[in-house]
Amino acid sequence: MPEAPTPWDSPRNGASSAADVVITHEDVDRGHDRVKVSAARAKGGIFSQARLLWLLLGPGVLVMLGENDGPSMLSYAATGAQFGIGFFLPFVVLTFGMAIIVQEMTVRLGSATHRGHAELIFERFGPFWGWFSLVDLGVGNFLTLITEFIAIRAGLGFFGVPPWAGVLCALVLLYSALLTHRYWTWERITLAIAAGNLVFVPVALLAHPDWHAVGHAFGTWKPLPGGLTQGFLIILLADIGATVTPWMLFFQQSATVDKGLTRKDIRFGRIDTVLGAILATAAAVATMLVTSLLFTHHMSAENFQAAEFAQALRPLIGRVGASLFALGIVEAGMVACVTISTSSAYAFGEVARRPHSLNLPIGQGRAFYSVLYLCAAVAAAIVLIPGLPLVYVVLLVNVIAVLAMPPALVFLYLLVNDREIMGDLVSPGWANALATLVVVLLTGAGVLFGVSVIAPHFFALLAGK
Amino acid sequence: MTAKELEQLILAPGERELILSSLERDQLAGLKKREIPRRHLKGPELLVLWSLRIYLLFMLAVVLYQVLHGAH
Repeated sequence: MPEAPTPWDSPRNGASSAADVVITHEDVDRGHDRVKVSAARAKGGIFSQARLLWLLLGPGVLVMLGENDGPSMLSYAATGAQFGIGFFLPFVVLTFGMAIIVQEMTVRLGSATHRGHAELIFERFGPFWGWFSLVDLGVGNFLTLITEFIAIRAGLGFFGVPPWAGVLCALVLLYSALLTHRYWTWERITLAIAAGNLVFVPVALLAHPDWHAVGHAFGTWKPLPGGLTQGFLIILLADIGATVTPWMLFFQQSATVDKGLTRKDIRFGRIDTVLGAILATAAAVATMLVTSLLFTHHMSAENFQAAEFAQALRPLIGRVGASLFALGIVEAGMVACVTISTSSAYAFGEVARRPHSLNLPIGQGRAFYSVLYLCAAVAAAIVLIPGLPLVYVVLLVNVIAVLAMPPALVFLYLLVNDREIMGDLVSPGWANALATLVVVLLTGAGVLFGVSVIAPHFFALLAGK
Repeated sequence: MTAKELEQLILAPGERELILSSLERDQLAGLKKREIPRRHLKGPELLVLWSLRIYLLFMLAVVLYQVLHGAH
């Protein structure tokens, strides 16, 4: 049974009446998806609730597993290899807590306004601030996309796949998922690929981690070998950037809108986000546990790429474990390629006022699909340039993401507290306090990084060394 | 081909009513062209936004320095 009809006979804001409304291809597909949701909601019982969850989950899991991307997994791998089991295990869990706080706001915004993030910033605050945030997003997304192809290339390199072939395979897979021209199908295909991120969990079990040390790390946030150094701060920022980045805000809100979530679905949107965060945390912690073996065996991994990590791990976890590790890196890069290029295309369509939905046929969404295809193709081509300092680029991308996050979060904060567009869904006081804390933490981490670059000996002096 | 003509090609009998009843008004692509009223930012909000903008530019310069320093 469909939900109660919208009161079409009382148009607000000068909008047309039901008879005048033009229904597009996008509306038809979304409408059919919503009919299924309404039917599941109308029935009672646990199975209907489970079906409702199945129908409504997607953007949250995708954004969280999408953010466990190539550079993120390499950051976690570098963390485990350089710092072992200690401070960073609980720290990474904390960063996913921050991600939940931030991403939940985009679910509310998307469900309440049915508008994408870029669209809302432009319309509510004007083009001046709109362009600032769009440029931040565009530059960040493009750099990140390059690193995803780096990860795919490096991961497939472990199996002897030539770089051009690996990059081409990734592009073909990305374009194939889009050929369905259906948000639902695209989402399910991408979710299926994203589930591969959990491959790091069995790899961690193959590494036989010291569970006592793991428990001790979560209980005490110790040890922290080396103390407060520039290397520590870069890893700290890279790990934060591995969980909270601007593209996530834009993607989840736009995907929430494209999927057609409404105010009634916010509870499931929250479950979706938390579930995604739990899965992503499991994969992140597992990766750190695996590479902590390199730390305990005193193997230097500062300049490792995915293939080197897998090769170094091979004598310690076996060929199967090392192969799964390399496959996990490929998967991480692949899912992020899909989600990040989609986030760019959504933002472009919203700002340029062109149709922007994965439910659009190619003919009706030329601009949207062109941005998506072009971003991916150019990033893929750049990765094939010989002699590019790939490892450094990967870590720096996460650092840049952290630096760009506070301005993006302030826009999110302003929008989600805007009673005129949010109505009774404005953020409660405690959520605002947490969001403010996240902004302060991110800005503080960025400032510390800046100090460490400008005055490299500052922290040594502070520690009296 | 106009949007109206496209619509006639796509929709089966009764489908229009089904779509309209299953979607909220603002979810229809055609109605999204209606703009949300502009909100003018106040002093403290502008101060925070400009501060963060300057912070971002400064930090990007720091990162650039770090990259060049690392390259050498």
